[in-house]
Formats: sequence, C-alpha cells, structure tokens
Amino acid sequence: MATVAKKRGTTLGRESVREALVGYAFVFLPIASFLIFFMYPLGYAAYISFFDWGALGKIESVGLGNYRELSHDFLFGKALKNTLRYAVIVVPSQMALGLLLAVIVNNALRFRTFFRAAFYFPAIAGSIAITAVATYILSADGLLNALISAITGETYDHSWFGESDTALQSIMALNIWTTSGTMMLFYLASLQSIPTDVYEAAAIDGAGAWRTFWKVTFPLLKPAHFFVAVVSVIGALQVFDQAFFVSGGGGGPNYSTMTIVLYLYNTAIEGARFGYASAIGIVLFAIIATLTLIQRLLFGRAEVA
Amino acid sequence: MRYRIAVLVMGAVASVIFAAGAQSRTVIDRPQAVTASGTVTLSGWSVSTTEEDLLQQVVRAFERTHPNIDVKYDAIPNYDQAMLAKFSARQPPDVFYLNSEKAPTWISQGLIAPLNSYISKTKFNTKPFYPSLLRAFKQNGKTYGFPKDWSPLGMEINTQLLARVGGKAPKTWAQLTAVAKKLKPLMTGTAKPICLSAEWQRALMFVYQNKGVILKNGNPQFTSAAVRQAINFYVGLQRAGLGDTPAKLGVGWCGEAIGKEKAAIAFEGNWAFPYLPDTFPNVKWRFFPVPKGKVPATLAFTVSYSTSPASKNKDAAWVLITYLTGKAGMRLWTSKGLALPARSDVKVAFPAPSRAPLLAQAKYARVWLWPDGWDKVWSVGNNELSAVMEGKQTVNGMLSRLQSEARSVK
Repeated sequence: MATVAKKRGTTLGRESVREALVGYAFVFLPIASFLIFFMYPLGYAAYISFFDWGALGKIESVGLGNYRELSHDFLFGKALKNTLRYAVIVVPSQMALGLLLAVIVNNALRFRTFFRAAFYFPAIAGSIAITAVATYILSADGLLNALISAITGETYDHSWFGESDTALQSIMALNIWTTSGTMMLFYLASLQSIPTDVYEAAAIDGAGAWRTFWKVTFPLLKPAHFFVAVVSVIGALQVFDQAFFVSGGGGGPNYSTMTIVLYLYNTAIEGARFGYASAIGIVLFAIIATLTLIQRLLFGRAEVA
Repeated sequence: MRYRIAVLVMGAVASVIFAAGAQSRTVIDRPQAVTASGTVTLSGWSVSTTEEDLLQQVVRAFERTHPNIDVKYDAIPNYDQAMLAKFSARQPPDVFYLNSEKAPTWISQGLIAPLNSYISKTKFNTKPFYPSLLRAFKQNGKTYGFPKDWSPLGMEINTQLLARVGGKAPKTWAQLTAVAKKLKPLMTGTAKPICLSAEWQRALMFVYQNKGVILKNGNPQFTSAAVRQAINFYVGLQRAGLGDTPAKLGVGWCGEAIGKEKAAIAFEGNWAFPYLPDTFPNVKWRFFPVPKGKVPATLAFTVSYSTSPASKNKDAAWVLITYLTGKAGMRLWTSKGLALPARSDVKVAFPAPSRAPLLAQAKYARVWLWPDGWDKVWSVGNNELSAVMEGKQTVNGMLSRLQSEARSVK
C-alpha cells in the first residue's frame, strides 16, 4: 500500500514537472515579449527619469530634479487636473452605459446580433477617424449646431471643440460612446455566466424585473465591475489621441484639452526632454497603480475572477 | 596683321578672364575640393505630392551633374518623432530638413553637424542667403545648415470685398482698423472682417511692429509696455467685433477662413499655396505686405538642409546640401512657384496670385526662433492667448504668466 502510494507520488511528481514545463513552454513567448517590451522599458524609463536625457542619451544626472520640477510645473498641474476630471466623468458613464447596453442585448430581442454588432462598432473604428468626423459635426457651422438651430429656431454657432467650456466635455462624450461597446462586451460575458436558477428563485420569491436586477444581477456582476472599472480607469487616465487631434497638439483652447499623456508627448517630442518625459510617465504609472489597488480593496480580493 | 594680333590677344585675355570667372563660380557653386561618391539619404516631411514630385525633379537634376552620387529621397510621416528615434539609433538620414523652430534644441543636443570646416575648405559663399534666415541655423559662431526656402507672414485679402470698400489695402494699424470697420457690414453669418489666430506665431508680428522685444540679453520682456500695447491692439480687433478666431468662424485655420469667405483678411504665409487656389478656385484674393506699426516688421518661418555627426557619408552630404541650397538648385526648387527662395541672388517669376509681396518683406522679416526649452513657453502662451480671446483671461494676466514661465526655462 505504502509502496503504491509512494510510486504514485513520484509518478505524479514527474508528471507535474512535465506539465509545468509544457506550461512554461507555452507561455514562454508571451512572457518573454512582456519582459522585453513592457518591463524593460518601464524599468529603463524609471532609470532615465533621474537624468537630463536627450535624443543621444545621458546629458547629466539630476537625481530627483525632474520630479521636483514636476511638482511645481504649471502645465503639468493643468494636465493632471484635466485628466482626473476626465476620468471622474468618463469611468462611471462608460460603466453605466456599457452595463445598460449589455443588459439590452442580453435579452431575447429581435435583431439581437445586429444590435450587438452595432453597439460594438464604434470600439473597432479608429479613434482618429471618429474624432475627424466629430470635428465636422461639432464645428461652429456643423451638423449638431444646424440641428439645434432647426429645433430652437435661433442661430446657434458654438464651436464645441474650439471653446474651452466644451472641448474636454466633447471628448468625454465621444469617448464614452466609442468605448461603451467594449465595456458592453465585458459585461455581456459576465451576464451570461450568471446561472438561471438564481433568477428562478427570485421569480418564485415574487421579485419584479427591477428588483431582480438590483438585488440579483448587479451584485453577481461584482467581478465584472472590478475588471471594467480597472480597464476604464487606465484607459481614461491615458487619454491622448482625441486631445492631440482636436487641439493640434497644443492642448488648447485655454489648456482645456491638455492631458497628462499629451503633455508627456510634447515634452518628449517638442522639447526632446526624454528624462523629464519619463518622470511624467512614472508619475502617471504611480497614479494608475494606486487607483487600481484602491479599486481592488473596494471590490474585494476574493471576487477577482 | 596687327589688327588680327590685337584681336587674338584681346580674345585670349577675355577668355582667361572668363575662364577665371567661370572657375571662381564653379568653386562657389559646385565645390571641387570635396570629392564625394556613394549613396546619400535625403529626408524631409511632405506637405503635398506636388512638393514631393518637385523635390524628386531637383534630385534627378543633381544626379545628372553628380553621377558618382546616388540620392535616396523619402518623405517621413510624423517627422519630429521619427527623426528623434533615428537620432537615438545613430541612424539619421545624411541630409534632412531642420525646422528653425527645432534648430536650437536639436543643435544643443549635438544632433546637427556644424558645417564650418566644409564652408572654409570649399569656399562656399554664404553671402547670398538672407542673413536673418541663415542666423536661425547658427549657434556660437557655427553654421548648422542653409535655409532651403522660407515664408514670412503676409496679409491675405479677399480682393472682391476689398474693391467694395475702396480697393486700398491697409498699410498701417489705423488703416487696418478702418478697412475692417468698412468691411464689417459686408460680412454675413459668423463671418468677420479679420481672422485672428489665438497663436503667438501670428500675434507676435504686431509686437515686433510696435518695436516690442521678447528677449533682451536673455531676459524675457513680456510685461513691457510695447508688448502689452501690441497684444492689446490684436485682441482689441476681436473685442471690437472686427475679427475672430478660426474656431469662432467655424474653420480650422485662417487660410480656410479666406477660402470659405468667413473672413476678408488673414495673416498667413506661403503655405496658402497650392491649398487655397486648388480648394477654393473661385475666391478672389491675394497677398499684400502686412501693415506696419511704428516700424515695418513681420514674422518668418524657415527650414534648412542639414546633416548629422552620425552621417556615414558626410562629404557627399555636403555636396548635396550645397547643390540644393546653391543658386542652381534653389532656382530649380523655387521655379515652380511653390517655395520662396532663401537666397537674394535667385529671382523667380511667380505665377498669379503673386507671391512677390511676400518676398518683398525679406528685409524686415524676423524668424520665429527661441532658445532651447521655449517650446513650453509658447505652449503656455497659446493657451493663455486663447483664454484671453475667450474673455477668460486678461492681457496683463497672460503676460505675467508668460513672464514667469519664460523665467523658469533653464
């Protein structure tokens, strides 16, 4: 008996080593590319953030100089404020809209496949292409103003991207719309993994559709909420292309579209200051990492699926 | 007989003089002291396919006269970004465009090769270049490139509208205001007499016209009276309803405002071609010199041909640079009327609508040129100016913000 057990143990041991090796062989390429293309640049960026670093490399060591400069950098302050404001509006809106769309297409409605594709479509269209079309629609003599004028009967010529009151808000609206399809997809996958018996139990207890959603569906989607929130926060804090396109890179008007990544880009490309740009990147990384950890605490570790 | 000898002698003397003259010209135009061969890579950004085709023609002309040198030209999209990556990889093109705006930063980082040893070795004559343009590519007495072409800001005016208010282009600030006032009732919808960019790359021209100075011995002068007056005049045109920003006019930039007849006057440069005539062939407009304030002045933008210390074929790069910016090369490059020559000895007959008024401003044009690190000052400056033009910031508030931003540049 003992020998059998022992023998089985060693066979299992050898088997598990073999399995592990096969496993590592399968993930070797992705892990290697992750280390080379993500971890190495991240570490290198952290390293050069302590230098005055130009296109040809090291100019001089500045210690924490870049970070000190960032702490009282007027433009960085504007960029940080805009980016946080952007995330605070965009993340909950994206999540709510994504969830709403997912619930809609999770029902047995007619043309379900069509709606699923239609809601997801903006997510696969290029963001620059969509922004380019939006600049026409939202210009002073664009389609939106023509519609408003037709409805109100008064000439309306507000330049949505061209004025600081609405430039960032227009980008927010645009991004909430384009990314909601992706959020819908995440929620839809989670919705479909909720077993039907909990709904049946709720129905027997006499819960209506509204109550079932808030008392059953919504809590059971907790892992999805966590995942969608993290993805959405990261995406929102990295907003760049729309801001770049709309302002021609300048972050205007009146700093309204100056975001952290746009400022990082300008520092690196216009100013050729790679050390300082890296410091901006590291600060952004720290912000994202902190927020992700906070979200993890909020949604609970055990729920992470 | 004697007569014959005299003729012969005169002929001989004449031919010696001619040959000497030809010899010296050859030395200037096509340096013989450098023997070069091999492949040279040439890169720039591309504004239009017309421009790319034209540069190809110039390159082919070069290859005909320099059979030992093979030029590989390509236009690079995302130019600044791509070039910085190429510099980092120590593999920049041998000859490339250098924007005057980027020159101080790129030169101070050692990305651009000084050309002085070649200039003296081959006796390349730099005198014909407009001095203000050449200065943009000089640092600490060294020359890092020769301007390939340039453009000042000129005044675009819709001539049909101008004819309806007397047909006389404004020549002073007071006349600009007066003409704009007369044009005002003719403008419909969102249109305004003048298109005013919320950009210092336009507004600064008025500062220079007002004898304003931004940097005096390295010290920023944003809060000086001359700067404030000029900016107040510029912003005042908008406050008086005589002009507005492209965003308010419903266009992307002021050239488009002329094309879409959203404005009758705009301050733009040679880049209006071939865009305006191609896109809006029915709009009648032309360039005039910009109005003068206390002094005549305008802003200019220029680009050089330069090479890098990392170039693998510096000799051939030098020969190509001296051809492209030499008299023959520049004449060919500017002959199609696409670009303005950066040399005073290249005369071009421009097709209508004439660019001659632009070129005529060469003597008082000042290149947009700032020390390393000033890109950030102007980023703040343009955001502040847009805030001023939205009525959310005062002119004084903007100028003190700029003063402190400029002081913080190391």
